[in-house]
Amino acid sequence: MKTDTIPLEPVPLSADQAEEMLQRQIKKHYLTSILLHWFNAFVWLFELLTGAALITSPYFRITPEWYLTIAQDVFGTRASMLRFHVAVGITWLVVFVVYGIFGFRAYLGWEVLQSKLFLDADDRRWLVVRTLRILGRSREPLPPQGIYNAGQKMFAQLVFAMTPVILVTGLIMAFRLFGAWAIGWAVVLHFVAVTSVVAGLMVHVYMGAVFPEEKPAFFSMITGTVNELFAYSHHFKWWRTVKQEEAEWEAAHNGQAHADGATP
Amino acid sequence: MARYGMVTDLRRCVGCHACTVACNAEWDVPAGQARTEVRATPIAGTFPALASSVFVSQCNQCDRPPCVNACPSGATRQTASGIVSVDKRVCIGCGFCVEACPYDARHLDRQTRQVDKCDFCLSRVERGQEPVCVATCTAHAKYFGDLEDRSSVVSRMVFENGARRIETGEVAVGPNVYYAGLPEQLDLVAATFPPRHPRMPASATVWRRAFKPLMLTAIGVAFAGQAVAFFTQLKNGEKDFED
Amino acid sequence: MSTESISRRQFLGTVAAAGAGAAVAPAAAEARPHPPGWRGDERVEQIATICEMCFWRCGVLASVADGHVVRLEGNPDHPLTRGRLCARGNAGTGLLYDPDRLKYPMLRTGKRGEGQFKRISWDEALDFLAAKLKAIKDAHGPEATAFFPHGIGSRFFGTLMSAYGTPNSAEPSFAQCRGPRDVGYALTFGQPLGSPEPVDLESSKLIVLIGSHLGENVFTSQITAFANGLAGGARIIAVDPRFSTAAAKADWWLPIRPGTDIALLLAWMHVLIGEQLYDRDYVAQYASGFDQLAAHVKAFTPEWAEGITELPAAQIRETARSMGAAKPAVAIHPGRHVTWYGDDTQRARAMAILTALLGSWGRKGGIFLPTSVPRGSFDLPSFPDSARGRADGVGTRFPLASEELGVTNGLVDATMTGDPYPIKAWIVYGQNVLESIPQRHRTLKAIEALDLLVVVDVLPVEQTNYADLVLPEATYLERYDPPVVVTTAKQPFMSIRQPVCEPMYESKPGWWIAKQLASRMGLEAWFPWNTPDEHLDRIIEPMGINGRALRSRGAVAFAGRPYIEDRTEDDGFIPTSSGKIQLYSEELKDAGADPLPRYTEVEPPPAGYVRLIYGRAPMHSFARTQNNEALHALMSENEVWLHTATAGEHRLADGDRIVLENTDGGRSRPVRVKVTEGIRRDCAYLVHGFGQGGRGLRRAFGRGASDTALMSRVKVDPLTGGTGMRVNFVRPVPAEPAV
Repeated sequence: MKTDTIPLEPVPLSADQAEEMLQRQIKKHYLTSILLHWFNAFVWLFELLTGAALITSPYFRITPEWYLTIAQDVFGTRASMLRFHVAVGITWLVVFVVYGIFGFRAYLGWEVLQSKLFLDADDRRWLVVRTLRILGRSREPLPPQGIYNAGQKMFAQLVFAMTPVILVTGLIMAFRLFGAWAIGWAVVLHFVAVTSVVAGLMVHVYMGAVFPEEKPAFFSMITGTVNELFAYSHHFKWWRTVKQEEAEWEAAHNGQAHADGATP
Repeated sequence: MARYGMVTDLRRCVGCHACTVACNAEWDVPAGQARTEVRATPIAGTFPALASSVFVSQCNQCDRPPCVNACPSGATRQTASGIVSVDKRVCIGCGFCVEACPYDARHLDRQTRQVDKCDFCLSRVERGQEPVCVATCTAHAKYFGDLEDRSSVVSRMVFENGARRIETGEVAVGPNVYYAGLPEQLDLVAATFPPRHPRMPASATVWRRAFKPLMLTAIGVAFAGQAVAFFTQLKNGEKDFED
Repeated sequence: MSTESISRRQFLGTVAAAGAGAAVAPAAAEARPHPPGWRGDERVEQIATICEMCFWRCGVLASVADGHVVRLEGNPDHPLTRGRLCARGNAGTGLLYDPDRLKYPMLRTGKRGEGQFKRISWDEALDFLAAKLKAIKDAHGPEATAFFPHGIGSRFFGTLMSAYGTPNSAEPSFAQCRGPRDVGYALTFGQPLGSPEPVDLESSKLIVLIGSHLGENVFTSQITAFANGLAGGARIIAVDPRFSTAAAKADWWLPIRPGTDIALLLAWMHVLIGEQLYDRDYVAQYASGFDQLAAHVKAFTPEWAEGITELPAAQIRETARSMGAAKPAVAIHPGRHVTWYGDDTQRARAMAILTALLGSWGRKGGIFLPTSVPRGSFDLPSFPDSARGRADGVGTRFPLASEELGVTNGLVDATMTGDPYPIKAWIVYGQNVLESIPQRHRTLKAIEALDLLVVVDVLPVEQTNYADLVLPEATYLERYDPPVVVTTAKQPFMSIRQPVCEPMYESKPGWWIAKQLASRMGLEAWFPWNTPDEHLDRIIEPMGINGRALRSRGAVAFAGRPYIEDRTEDDGFIPTSSGKIQLYSEELKDAGADPLPRYTEVEPPPAGYVRLIYGRAPMHSFARTQNNEALHALMSENEVWLHTATAGEHRLADGDRIVLENTDGGRSRPVRVKVTEGIRRDCAYLVHGFGQGGRGLRRAFGRGASDTALMSRVKVDPLTGGTGMRVNFVRPVPAEPAV
């Protein structure tokens, strides 16, 4: 356990300290977030697979013939595949709207957005340094990051921006709204938004699932927790906030216990 | 396998419009729209040396249909027998196919906001009946049949009697509605109602020319970037975090 | 296409209003076991009937689902039309479901012309009418009531009117259409041509169209025959001041100066006789008066005709020679609507004579012979004779006019003037007097003189506004009409009109209205049947026709003997008094008219004016279809054809809107200009039936220009009373700004 003084910047740890922190888990994601993340992921995958299978004409096609055949065989007719695609898309929309309303403060409140979505100075520097390090051109340490690092934030921004585009253009196409000119552009923007996210997904999936150093991050999406050492080294500013909250909580409850005479 | 085609004999046709009314009535096409169009060439020449011809057109169920190429949702497809059909359960009404058709044979239905066009009365044909335009034609000017059956009327008119396609040197997509008539009449009609180049609206072109290569590049770069990261990681021996 | 279902309340209303005695037409399914068909992807019940979008009466199969007519298509079992159906026939549901239809009996409340009515019940309406007719008969005699019918449904009313005792009945089909033609041909060959015209187009080698614009004038089986003829290699001579669809297909287009057709015909005869190209054997065997004819035409050279017709003499010769070469398979199409210049009977005579010279009467590729069909009829008491005789001039002013069909304009004149006696009531059934009879101002004046105007119709056309009593008739799809027997087909046949659905609103079939009136007027004896089925059965039984088969298939054919070679010695085919074709007409001579046709000078248009000519469009029938949704969408208004030079003189461009003004100052509604090379400089052309004044027809009202309204002048044919209508001259004037 740390002393009352919580460092403002990451400092080197002793082996014992590191070991202790490794064993301790901090809650990073609550159940709702986890469920939403995987719901998002699977819906996304399903929509991507079925959507790609709907595009059959030579001008627009992006998948090989055998893929289209398999997809058609699975669903029977193109009409039924489209029905699924739209139904799942609308379900996705409804879920979004519901948690957008009920979870507004938790997910869309200004402070939440600031910490989880917007880039600060550290984030911007991190992006530069990280890229150079990947290219093997720097060994500079990375600036401290919040609960999500800059790369994760950028992906989140992409998804935040593109998801409404995908949903709105999807509705325009599914319900033939606003006339042919709008529907035509909806087709294009739908494809652009989807492929943008796919590009981002390349990085997100690699970083999340393949890159070994980020393994705790991946598992945190299942268990909801990361070990403290990971938090300290990769998301220092968030670790710091957690520590402060713990200290405050302890201070409030320790004082109380002494007053009552009960053991904390 | 059959390859359906139609022959319209412009010598017989008088432009009575029975076909277009029958088609609309059979398929509930709203008044003011039509799957088949009856027109005439403007009267050409100087009095009294004049020439004009009627002309009836509809979807040509082309050999190489530009509309099938243009459909982003897969609603427009071509059956094995050559009929180009529109699946109304899938059509999103973007109108790309309308722009793509060199014969302007498709239109957006005002009421359903989907594309509507002639499909040779596919469901009737499957039952062994003729398309309604052929059945009602007062001048017996329309013929329907299998172009791969050399004994059929349409085959004989095309392969023996010289019924023509309306194509140009630049736009030859293989229409399967042929026209019979006097040679000068067919020349006049072909000159007055030639197919135009298939067009794509700006949105589709922007996707194809700009966004698609851009996005594929982005995906490729992202993928490549990750590949580089992977190999760098292997090379540098990045360890699991736990180590 | 909108469909309105008949509500249960409406249906029960119909049943209740059927009243005593007459039963409502039986439900569709029972007596009409036609095999079911398809419409789109659904199975439907199909009932055979005949169309009434025009008067050709093509066979129709009506597809019915839940009492709705969902589709009309041709009836393949119909011996003449064989499953083909024109644009109007295919659009018939647009009439059935037209929301502007007349729905219930109405009694005038405002002034005549205001179109103010109150709705009344059928009982009230029928009682009112019966009482009125009785009163008029008591005060002025039965002849004071005139009947204006049209269509086979009118026959029930015709019986009623004859039983009532009036001889005054006139259809526009005579004096505004075919009358002079039938008289001209009857004078020559012994019998009228009839309808459908027995022209053997499909076997012809050369088709001669005098003013006939086949292709824009569409009758299903005639188009089939025309197209078959073309496919068989027939050549065409089209004589027309306008470059019609038929002219565009013609080998020779003769843009003749209007009114000079007789000169052309005489010159043709001159060439055929002078160059020995006529059918000598045929003429020798079957015709009389050749020598007089030959002498008569000697002076009528192509050069003479050129000066009159403005057609090159060489062309006249060439076309005559082509006729000579193609005989006897030359079809001189007799035309249909022939009331053009007032000399129309003589022009028909000329065409008949030409036909005979070519040996094409009764021959393949020419005019074929009608085959009579013995038909059943009712034993009715004889109709009362009229002491005062007819008022329309049949047999008197117009010595050769048809007794059966009458002279409509004669009745208008009599009503206006009170000469020979006052006419106080008009019963108008299925006739549109303000559109079909020229000189509307006279018709309107006549109407003013009436005590009673009754209109029995389907749509609220303009004349409805002037009626005292309006009775809504059921459309052809909702009613039974007397069966039709056609003898002028290569295969004569009988066809039936039977209801395919229940009458909508409170409309009633004509037979019911007539029968109801009869019982109120004490004239039941002339309607000795109770139901349409009974009526039909009593007609067909003596003919040996199977009623069930007839109702299922819609028609039954008989054997035809259309050509001379089918006829035996006793089975004569020239029922003239002499048994010979009358090239020279004694009858005309006796009537004080030219026994051989003569060209009479036609008045040219005054300076600055052009002659108004008119015709048809393939998607419309007269003034009947302009409110039909599908047909309106194909052609919502007409346009006036003006030659490029004429348009130039008036500084008009294609698409400009102008008003046509005639020489009496009468003006049309605004109409679009079509600038074209395809018409003579001295003509302007309009499709008939537009510019209508019936506000109740919301789609049709006021669209385009009415040719009828511009016809302030007519040239009446003295022999038949036919109203020559192509004698009006118009000029384009600027349209007033829209109010």
